[in-house]
Amino acid sequence: MFLRAIARPLMAGVKQTTGIVGLDVVPNAREVLISLYSKTLKEIQAVPPDEGYRKAVESFTKHRLTVCREEEDWEAIEKRLGCGQVEELIEEARDELKLIEKMIEWDPWGVPDDYECEVIENDAPVPKHVPLHRPGPLPEEFYSTLEKLQLNSKEAPPAVTSGESKAV
Amino acid sequence: MERSEHGNRLDTNSDYLFQLLCFLKLHTYTRVQVSIDICGVDYPSRKRRFEVIYNLLSTRYNSRIRVQISADEVTRISPVVSLFPSAGRWEREVWDMFGVSSINHPDLRRISTDYGFEGHPLRKDLPLSGYVEVRYDDPEKRVVSEPIEMTQEFRYFDFASPWEQRSDG
Repeated sequence: MFLRAIARPLMAGVKQTTGIVGLDVVPNAREVLISLYSKTLKEIQAVPPDEGYRKAVESFTKHRLTVCREEEDWEAIEKRLGCGQVEELIEEARDELKLIEKMIEWDPWGVPDDYECEVIENDAPVPKHVPLHRPGPLPEEFYSTLEKLQLNSKEAPPAVTSGESKAV
Repeated sequence: MERSEHGNRLDTNSDYLFQLLCFLKLHTYTRVQVSIDICGVDYPSRKRRFEVIYNLLSTRYNSRIRVQISADEVTRISPVVSLFPSAGRWEREVWDMFGVSSINHPDLRRISTDYGFEGHPLRKDLPLSGYVEVRYDDPEKRVVSEPIEMTQEFRYFDFASPWEQRSDG
């Protein structure tokens, strides 16, 4: 535990493994990400400016690009973005580029404004034995609570069982 | 589009199926990379009687979505095998069981029925025990298939409730 705390700044240099089968470590992840995001922003110009798709892609690509430019270290990028590992981010960026190319080819823009998509809200109660698939918690909260638990456990054993009381 | 506690369901028409699934697979905010199941349902009272259902899973966002598309006997849906390689067998199954075929499918063969089987089993108009039965014929020394002969008529039990008709317990 103490060793990990001391060695942690040294460990941030080299990544041994992503922990995911089939996904190799990319050593120059930051440069790859910056180039992919700049390319995405260039490609998305071909989409008409009013479309929600263009706005969504531009917003998250710009956010991720600024974070990548500001932070030097892949670990800092991962922590700040909170979107998983940099290799996964590279995959997502590549897929988004492929998707933009296909969307431009298929050209789905130009839906008339009065087209309504029927949304049915079904509020019937689910029986207790049926599993509900809910998305997981945010990575940022996880990281901050983990940090605080590790710092606190060095001094004294944690007095509460739930980590949420320690998170701000 | 239905949004409910039971799970999200999205209806679409057949022209845009491949595009929709490609978008769902590749877009950063909806990364559904896994197709869990492709199955069909037969609603004989509807005009487009079959409904092909794609169950998809996003491991990144831990959420599932179901895409449904309606088709009749002659509609051909586009194969999604290039997007989801596991869909190969499911599409063959849908073709075999229902008769909903795909355009330009790389490998569309029967998968669950017998080699010379005629008909599509899971349609509602094919009876439960089928039309032919097979038996080993000793003089010919091979298995022959003959029209079905049932000694007992098909019994249909219609219990109003399990508690009322307790004759023998």
